[in-house]
Amino acid sequence: MSAKETYTAKTIKMTINSRLEEVSLVGSAVHGICANLSLSGTEASQMEACVVEVVNNAIKHSYHLQPGHEVDITISLYPDRIEFSICNTGEPMKSWEKTSIDFDPQDVCALPEGGMGLYIIKSIMDEVTYEYLDGVNNFSMSKHLNKVL
Amino acid sequence: MIFEDKLTNKILIVKPLEKRIDAFSAANFQGHIVDWIAEGKNHIVLDLSGIFFIDSSGLVAIVSILKMLNPSGNLVICGMNEAVLDLFRLTRMNRVFQIFSSREEAVDALLKTLPNG
Repeated sequence: MSAKETYTAKTIKMTINSRLEEVSLVGSAVHGICANLSLSGTEASQMEACVVEVVNNAIKHSYHLQPGHEVDITISLYPDRIEFSICNTGEPMKSWEKTSIDFDPQDVCALPEGGMGLYIIKSIMDEVTYEYLDGVNNFSMSKHLNKVL
Repeated sequence: MIFEDKLTNKILIVKPLEKRIDAFSAANFQGHIVDWIAEGKNHIVLDLSGIFFIDSSGLVAIVSILKMLNPSGNLVICGMNEAVLDLFRLTRMNRVFQIFSSREEAVDALLKTLPNG
């Protein structure tokens, strides 16, 4: 039997007001943190994209674009992965969008005009979970990293 | 959102001068181009060389513009950075839009699609 290693993640926490104009601050922070962790530019942008999609969703659908509420973002760094947790106390997320987007690229009229956020997240992230507990929406996602941090 | 627009007699070139087309700015971005379409400008080069980041709202705005222009007009895109191109590939929108590295290539390609172009 081997000893079980425990690792305390390094965490960074941010809170923004439920205003779409503040989401870019979160995006830039996520991108900068990931770039400093030696993720490639594309990987850092992908992490930014995923966090932005969830935060946008919280503001638009859980808080109905009403300012004055909080969206909490926690970034947890493990040796082999990075985790993002986005929490809000708005309305519960419904099954918010399709997880696949099927369309004929030649058929312009039938191109999707929405519903791509969750698809983008699930395409990029390795694990995606959501729970609504005690009035809190908690959306978590993680990405395994090739390089040990 | 601030734009740099260039109008020739046949083609409109639109270049957003912001760094992001996202949920906050997408409606403004779309509205700007819709205003041009309402004036009859329906052959458009979208120069994204200043854009660092697009989210799904920005992507939807661009798709909506293409749908408005269809079938008599067209929208081609140039100047995407790797992050934006990555999003287009992920969503397979790179198969929908004609995408060029440079503005010159985009303009040339669009001119060839025009009647008497």
